[in-house]
Amino acid sequence: MNAVAIPVLHSAIAIMTPLLLAATGGVFTELSGMLNIALEGLMLIGAFTSIVFSHYTQSLLLGVLLGMVCTMALAALLGAITLYLKSNVFITGLATNLFASGLTVVLSFRLFGNKGVVVFDEVAKLPRLVVPALQKIPVLGDIFIGHHVFVYLSWLLLLAAGWVLYRTPFGFRLRAAGLHEETLVSLGMQPKRYRFQAFLISGFACGLAGAVLTLNLGAFVPNITSGKGWIALVVIFLGQKRPLGLLVAALVFGFADSFSNYAQGAWNVPAEFILAIPYLFTLVAMVLFSIYTSRKSSIE
Amino acid sequence: MGEERKRMRFLPAKLARNSVGALVILAIALGVLVILSLLLSKTPGKTLRYFFLGPLQNTYYFGNMVNTAIPLIFGGLGISLAMRAGSFNLGGEGQLYGGAFVATISALAFAPLGFLGGVLALFLGAMTGGVLAGISGVLRMKWNTSELISSFLLSNAVVLIVSYLIAGPFMDPETNLIATGKIPESLRFMRILEPSNLSAGLYFALIAVLLVYLYLQKTRSGYELRMFGMNPMFAKYGGISVHWYRVWPMFLSGAFYGLGGGMAIFGTYYACMKEFSVGMGWNGLAVALIAGFKPVAVIPAALFFAYIESGARNAMLHSDVTFEIASIVQAVVFFLVTSSVLQQIGKKRRVL
Repeated sequence: MNAVAIPVLHSAIAIMTPLLLAATGGVFTELSGMLNIALEGLMLIGAFTSIVFSHYTQSLLLGVLLGMVCTMALAALLGAITLYLKSNVFITGLATNLFASGLTVVLSFRLFGNKGVVVFDEVAKLPRLVVPALQKIPVLGDIFIGHHVFVYLSWLLLLAAGWVLYRTPFGFRLRAAGLHEETLVSLGMQPKRYRFQAFLISGFACGLAGAVLTLNLGAFVPNITSGKGWIALVVIFLGQKRPLGLLVAALVFGFADSFSNYAQGAWNVPAEFILAIPYLFTLVAMVLFSIYTSRKSSIE
Repeated sequence: MGEERKRMRFLPAKLARNSVGALVILAIALGVLVILSLLLSKTPGKTLRYFFLGPLQNTYYFGNMVNTAIPLIFGGLGISLAMRAGSFNLGGEGQLYGGAFVATISALAFAPLGFLGGVLALFLGAMTGGVLAGISGVLRMKWNTSELISSFLLSNAVVLIVSYLIAGPFMDPETNLIATGKIPESLRFMRILEPSNLSAGLYFALIAVLLVYLYLQKTRSGYELRMFGMNPMFAKYGGISVHWYRVWPMFLSGAFYGLGGGMAIFGTYYACMKEFSVGMGWNGLAVALIAGFKPVAVIPAALFFAYIESGARNAMLHSDVTFEIASIVQAVVFFLVTSSVLQQIGKKRRVL
C-alpha cells in the first residue's frame, strides 16, 4: 500500500505546484471581477522566457526574474487593452493565449532554429530541499520533503496572497472592485487601478508557474502548459476563490494527475486515456461541486 | 418588405462609419506583421509579398484559401448561435474533431447505402458534436455548472480519446499516416475550382449561413433564442422556457461544429487523420467574434482568417519565417476587435 501511496502523493505535491502558483495569481484577477482565462498564455510565456534567460545568463535566479518580468509585461498589455481600450476580457484572454503560443514557437525557431523540443542541458537543475532529519519522519517526511524549492515557495506565496487579500486595505479594495465597484468609486478610488494591479500579480505568479514547468524539465516543449492554465482557473472556481480552497483543489487535481501517471505504468492503459483523465476528473469534480452548491442555495 | 429595403439603402453609409474602427484594427494588425517580418526575416520584402499576395496569386492558392474558410464558417455559425443565446461554447475543438471522426467511420460503415449513407454519416457527425455540447447545456440547466468550463474540459478529453481511437482500433493499416480508412469516392464532394482543393462544401456553408440567418431573424424559436440571450429574466417572465434555451443553443452550436468537421472530411481530407483539425475549433470562435455573432458577417470574417493563415503558409514556403506568425497576427486582431474605444473612432460622439 505505502509503496504505491507515498510516491503517488509525493508526485501529486510536485504536480500541483504550477497549478497552485497560477491559481494564486489568478485568484487576484478573479476577485477583482475579471475572468482571467489568459493564465494559460501567461504561464507559457513564463515557461519559455525563464528557461531561455537562464540559458543566456547562466543563472537560474536571473532567468526566473527576467522570465517574470516578461510575463508581467504581457499581463500589463492584457490589462491595458482590457481596461483602458475597453475590450472584452474573455476575448483579450484568448488573444493572450494565442499570442503566447505563436510567439514562443516563432522565437524558438528564430533563436534555436527549432520549432520542436529545445533541450537546455547546461541550465542548472532546480535546487531541492534536503533535510535528512525531517525526511526520517515516516510518511510525512517522504511526502513533503525533498521537492524543489518552488514547491515551498508556492505555499509561502499562497499564505502571502491570503494575507494581502484578507488583511490589507489593498486586498479589501481589490475585492471590492469585484464585489461592488460602485462602493470603490463612491470612495474616490478607481476599480480599474486595482484590476490592473491584479493582472500584474497574475502575471507575476504565472511567470513563476511557467518557470517551474520548463526548469524542472530542463527543456522547452511547444505548448508545454497543455491546459494547465485552464485547470488553474478550474482550481480557482472549485476552491471557491479562497486560499485554503485553492490548496485543496490543486491537491485534488495533482493527485488525479499523479495517480493517472501511476496507472499508466501499472496497468498499461493507453497514454491518451491517461492524459484525458485529469480533464474528466476535473469535470466530474466540477459537476459534483455545482450539484452541491445548487442544492445548498435551493435549501436557503 | 418596404421597410427592409429602406434599411438596405442606409447600409453602405452605416458600414462605412462602422468600418473606420475595423480598419484601424486591421492596420495595427498588419503593422505588427510588417514589424515582425522586419525583425524575424532576413528577406522581409519577400516575406511580406508572399504573405499579402501569395493567397491571391493563382487559382490554386486562392481556392485553397477559400477551402480553409469552410469549416471556419460552420464553427463561426455554431458559436454565434450559442453566443446569441448567452451561452459560451469553448468545446469546439472536441466537437469538430469528434464530429469528423464519427462522420468518417459512419461513412465507411454505411458505404453500401450509397448517397443515403453519406447523408446519414454527416448527420451522425453533427449529432456527435451536438450531444457533446448539449451535455454542457444540460449541466448548466440542471445545476448551473459553468458551460464555458465544462465544454472546454469535455472537449479536451474528447480530443485525446478520438486520437486514441484513430491511432488504435480504427487505424487503416494500409497507409503510413495515422488515419482512418478513406471514405468511398462516390461520397466525396466535387472539386469546384481545379486544381485547388476547393470543394462543393462551400455551397453547403453558404446555405448554412442563410439558414441560420433565417432561423434567427424569421422564426419564433430564433426570436426567443435572441431574446433569452439579451435578457434571460425578461425572457423568463415573457413565458420563454429557460430550460430549453440553456440546452438547445449549445446543442445547435456543437452540431454545427460537428457538421463542419464532417464537411472537412467529405470535402478535403477524405480520411480522419490524427489531430487534423487542431486549431479549427478556436478559429471558429475567433471568426464568430470578429463577425459580432452575425451569421452573414461570418463569411467575410472566415475569409479574413483564412487569408491570414494562407498568407503565413505561403510566406513559410517561399521565405524564412514560420507559420506561427499567423497566430501572432490573429492574436493582435483578437486583442483589439472588441475594444469599444477603437470602435468609437470615426463615429459621431453621442451627446449625453
